[in-house]
Amino acid sequence: MKILVAEDEYDLADVIHDMLEASGYSVDVAENGQMLLDMAEQSAYDVIISDIMMPVKDGLTAIKELRASGSLTPVLFLTAKTQVDDRIEGLEAGADDYLTKPFAMGELLARVRAMTRRGRLYQPKVLTVFNVTLDTEKEELSCHNSISLAARESHVMECFMTSPGTEFTTEELLSRFWKNEDNADEDAVWMYISFLRNKLRSVGAKATIKGDKGGSFSLVEE
Amino acid sequence: MTVYGGFEERLNIVAAGFMDAFERQAEAEQDSFGNKPYDHLSMRIKSEESMLKKCEADGLQLTPHNALKVIHDSIGVRVVCLFPDDIKKNAELIRQMPGVTVIREKDYIREAKPNGYRSYHMIVEVPDDRADVDGNLPGRYFIEVQLRTIAMDTWAALEHELKYKQNIKNPELIAAELKRCADELAACDVSMQTIRDLIRS
Repeated sequence: MKILVAEDEYDLADVIHDMLEASGYSVDVAENGQMLLDMAEQSAYDVIISDIMMPVKDGLTAIKELRASGSLTPVLFLTAKTQVDDRIEGLEAGADDYLTKPFAMGELLARVRAMTRRGRLYQPKVLTVFNVTLDTEKEELSCHNSISLAARESHVMECFMTSPGTEFTTEELLSRFWKNEDNADEDAVWMYISFLRNKLRSVGAKATIKGDKGGSFSLVEE
Repeated sequence: MTVYGGFEERLNIVAAGFMDAFERQAEAEQDSFGNKPYDHLSMRIKSEESMLKKCEADGLQLTPHNALKVIHDSIGVRVVCLFPDDIKKNAELIRQMPGVTVIREKDYIREAKPNGYRSYHMIVEVPDDRADVDGNLPGRYFIEVQLRTIAMDTWAALEHELKYKQNIKNPELIAAELKRCADELAACDVSMQTIRDLIRS
């Protein structure tokens, strides 16, 4: 699982980084809110941990922008503030949880685990990005008309629609959606990308999956 | 006297002529495997009973002029294809047929009907070497062409049966499941098209 930590205090970022990596997570660090947004667009994270007070762009603004772009990645705010209003503002901005500094590393780890445990349950069953809608329960894609998806198509589509614009490599997709299939390779991924592209086209979606065979793919507006 | 006022025979001749001309047009379009762009063609002349219902629904008197000139589907031709992309290919062939005028096109594949119905419809006007009901020479006849895949055709056949069946138990459930079938067949059509494209690329 990949975690993005946005924290401008170098020492604290370092401690969090080491602790999470020691717990088996792969961790990237951003130094401010703008970096957070840039990095979240370039790769898909399972959880984002963000400080609120940061230079260049503060955490609240960054998370608001992240949510406005359609991202549903769980976010945990770290804040030195203890005012109730600030906590409310953080949650209203789109955060899922918060932790007040100073905190125990054990508690941070427990909260990260709780957030990732909730996983899919946590996300809505109906996602709408650009002009296309995915109903993950009915496994149905719709726009001008509707079309059924195979279970794997629905999972891959959900992944793209949860983080529109984010690039997923062929290897990432293979490890997520072809977990126990040793024979699966870039051809399998390419076939499913092709299925989804044509299904997006057939429902009249103003969106497609960009990318070439073996490379990285992302959902983009057309 | 029939609803077509003695023009019924001409309707059969015009339909057969259109299908022959379309077949010839399509022969030039065989792919590298020697396959035509469609699987089969079929036609029907609208029955007197259906025409009567249609006139009533449209508030028209049942006259030969109305049946042949105001209503556009006295002749129906169906082009049934293997793959969704073939539908576009065949529609283009029809647009290019000499003497054929396309009056209207309606894409019920992109904008599927709420019940799940999918087909590409074209209303075309074709000439006939005898005078028509209005005395025009050459005569002019309308044909409704429906282009669809085999899967869409199977679905429409079942839906048609449902429409004419009385006293069905739980019609809402049947309609909902039929809609689901339409979306699954559409998914299959797109998947098979994709696989064909991948094989051929």
